[in-house]
Amino acid sequence: MNSQIIIAGLRARPVRTIVSILAVTLEVILILVIVGLTTGIANETAKRTAGVGAEIMVQPPNSSLFLALSNTPMPRSLGDEIRKLPSVQAVAPVQVQVNSSDGVEVVFGVDPASFNAVSGGFIWHEGRMFEAADEIVVDDLWAKARRANVGQQVQLLNHAFKVTGIVEHGKGARVFMSFDAVKELTGQSDKASLFYVKLKSPDQTKQALAEINRLLPGYTVRDVKDLESLMTTSNIPGLGAFINAVVIISLCVGVLVIFLSMYTTITERTREIGILRSLGASKLFIIRLIFEESGFICLIGIVVGIISSFVIRNVLTGVFPTLVVDITWDWILRGSLFALLSGLIGSFYPSVKAAAQDPVEALAYE
Amino acid sequence: MKILLEAVDLRKTYKIGKIDVEALRGINLRIREGELTAIMGPSGCGKSTLMHLLGAMMKPTVGKVFIDGRNIGEMSDAGLTSIRREKIGFVFQKFNLLPTLTAGANIDVARHIHGDTTRRDEYLVQLIQMLKIEDKMGRKPAELSGGEQQRVAIARAVAKKPVIVLADEPTGNLDSKNSEIVLNMFRELNRKLKQTIILVTHNPELVTFTDRLIEMRDGVIVSDNDPYPDTESELAQPARSV
Repeated sequence: MNSQIIIAGLRARPVRTIVSILAVTLEVILILVIVGLTTGIANETAKRTAGVGAEIMVQPPNSSLFLALSNTPMPRSLGDEIRKLPSVQAVAPVQVQVNSSDGVEVVFGVDPASFNAVSGGFIWHEGRMFEAADEIVVDDLWAKARRANVGQQVQLLNHAFKVTGIVEHGKGARVFMSFDAVKELTGQSDKASLFYVKLKSPDQTKQALAEINRLLPGYTVRDVKDLESLMTTSNIPGLGAFINAVVIISLCVGVLVIFLSMYTTITERTREIGILRSLGASKLFIIRLIFEESGFICLIGIVVGIISSFVIRNVLTGVFPTLVVDITWDWILRGSLFALLSGLIGSFYPSVKAAAQDPVEALAYE
Repeated sequence: MKILLEAVDLRKTYKIGKIDVEALRGINLRIREGELTAIMGPSGCGKSTLMHLLGAMMKPTVGKVFIDGRNIGEMSDAGLTSIRREKIGFVFQKFNLLPTLTAGANIDVARHIHGDTTRRDEYLVQLIQMLKIEDKMGRKPAELSGGEQQRVAIARAVAKKPVIVLADEPTGNLDSKNSEIVLNMFRELNRKLKQTIILVTHNPELVTFTDRLIEMRDGVIVSDNDPYPDTESELAQPARSV
């Protein structure tokens, strides 16, 4: 019977109902899409790093997991030292450049021979490896996002480059250039931002980590297998706070709209509340009715919000192929709980106010 | 006859700003099981206040109201709510049906609040037939005439088998034809179902339909043709539901 009263009430005020549902929908979308974007970028970066095929990654001391945030160079000659270690099969020095002209993206300056030795080589869609300092190779998603073809000139790092090849994504960066190209850009070709280390056997990782740590004390030496678990939003400076801010703002939007909606409802329905009280409805009955109504609004908003988030994800990744939006079950659950919480908080005062109404005064309300 | 309602030196004072307004100034009355009573008087004489007190909608400032043996002056809000739920059926001048629900759902709401979750039983079917609203159950109040709305309101009030039905100006918003239909319904309910009914009105024509007339003026009872004026109080004995 309560559901009949609630649904009839919601249908009688369609604009208010739709606005309330949309507010909850927006709350869920904000949480799922923004968190999905940040976690998606982190996860995708970890997957791309793992996709290089190296077991170990060596960086300068105190380097960030996120290559765009850490560009302190090391001498490339260190790579030769690492290669001499008994468990090491190949070492690929990488000079990381950050292109921020059209979003932030990492560009790898590599030596094709050593990079191929570690990664097993690119999977080519078309074209060939760069040869000159003004040539680059890009991955398929980058090419799709920029509508770039082999032979086309593109602007990157304030320079014009010719795309000579398009490769399958997933090998560290989306754009690759030669060390000569990096020299043109930075004046340095004997430096490396990181070394990817391929071992003779993955079973020797622990031993190799110890060897490299002994060789390069203080340097950041990481097992690539651990990267995925390490590359969480909480490890990105400020991102955890950003996500918290998004969640709190979303919660506030939900609370305020539900509050306004339910407050308007109880004002509009003062007489109805008086009728129910005259029929013997208890205060608890009225409180439950208001909570159930806001809960119902929240549930519809949650369902619409989840579906909309997946639609937005598909649209976003269709328009921007390099974007990754990870909508995970745990954040769907958290987003839903936050939306329900906003309904609970937002309808608390209105429900108590409604229940406290004097039945005689409520019946006299015009 | 069993006394269902008793008011003893009942007084009610409202505070309007800094002024105290005495709506009731010492009311004494007894309502017995099965009575069809009219409380009549001009506007502002305290009829509605008396009805609200007799219906456990509020507490008196002074005096006692016993409803089926229980003094509402000593009750909490939850106690008053329980009395309204279990013992009282209200019919209002403005019908006060829930506008978003159908006539049938309006009747079911009262039963739901009362705790009756079963399907409409024979009693309710008979009641709906008696009130001639069986073909109106699927309509919303806005789709019904005033007379039909009031008959639905009566069905809602009586559906939970209350001890007493209190009707505040039940014909106040109806034309003479519908007023007569509604009053006949009240009389039929009283005769066939032995329902105790109190009609509060300022319409003198209405009293021809009732057994007993209580007249009020300026917050006091000025006349009462109580057929059993010396009946002893049986307040300690709760009455059966009708």
